[in-house]
Amino acid sequence: MAAAKGGVAMELEKMSVEQLKAIKEQTDLEVNLLQDSLNNIRSATSRLESASSALHDLSLRPQGHPMLVPLTASLYVPGALDDSDKVLVDVGTGYFIEKTMAEGKDYCERKINLLKSNFDQLIEVASKKKCIADEAGAILQAKLKQLSPTS
Amino acid sequence: MGTSTALRDLQRDLENKANDLSKLQKDIAKNHQVRKKYTIQLGENELVLKELDLLSEDANVYKMIGPVLVKQDLAEANANVRKRIDYISAELKRLDATLQDLEEKQNSKRDMILKLQQRIQSLQAGKAKA
Repeated sequence: MAAAKGGVAMELEKMSVEQLKAIKEQTDLEVNLLQDSLNNIRSATSRLESASSALHDLSLRPQGHPMLVPLTASLYVPGALDDSDKVLVDVGTGYFIEKTMAEGKDYCERKINLLKSNFDQLIEVASKKKCIADEAGAILQAKLKQLSPTS
Repeated sequence: MGTSTALRDLQRDLENKANDLSKLQKDIAKNHQVRKKYTIQLGENELVLKELDLLSEDANVYKMIGPVLVKQDLAEANANVRKRIDYISAELKRLDATLQDLEEKQNSKRDMILKLQQRIQSLQAGKAKA
């Protein structure tokens, strides 16, 4: 890893100020994109986690429990909880699967784990890119200082 | 006299080639966008397929068609998702080929523009000397 970084630093040293600027700008853009993706994954994970805890709460309620059913964002009607052991899971592209409560919880767990592993992979890539961006910036600064020693 | 008309022709040619190049670049950008969309859809469909594969024969699958949830046969849902995955993969391959073609054209246009610019420069230098 150190050898690779040293190699990258040498490559950057050889480049002109113009090229360094371009590289720094491009890597900065890439780092921003990766940060956005990381944020998306984080918000998706938190949504899944709240879905999972809502499921868990639902499993604690007995059948026939009175509840308010949302018809629109501001209109609720009173109703009673039917069989809470069956849940409909949205799996994507318009498909819904009927599952038991346990399977539903398992689904949420699986998705959360998948997102967490994607998150970890992305963090690795993002931190490597950030390293390169920082290196390029530092070398750029050094070169600019070299070019204007009278300041 | 001859050189200035030649110069003008070359410059007009350069403008045309530059326009072609920017159109090529726009096409390449659009290709990337469509490709991104298809890749996302492909990923989503593969997730759905995995979920469907985990189900037992008697599980209920519903498809949302507009505001309606319609009960679907598991085998049918599997077949539909597989077909969609195949279609998207074929589209992506086609886009890949188009992208390669566009990039080759872009590179050759860039070379032509460079050569044109060099000719223009040498002509202008020749005129200045004379």
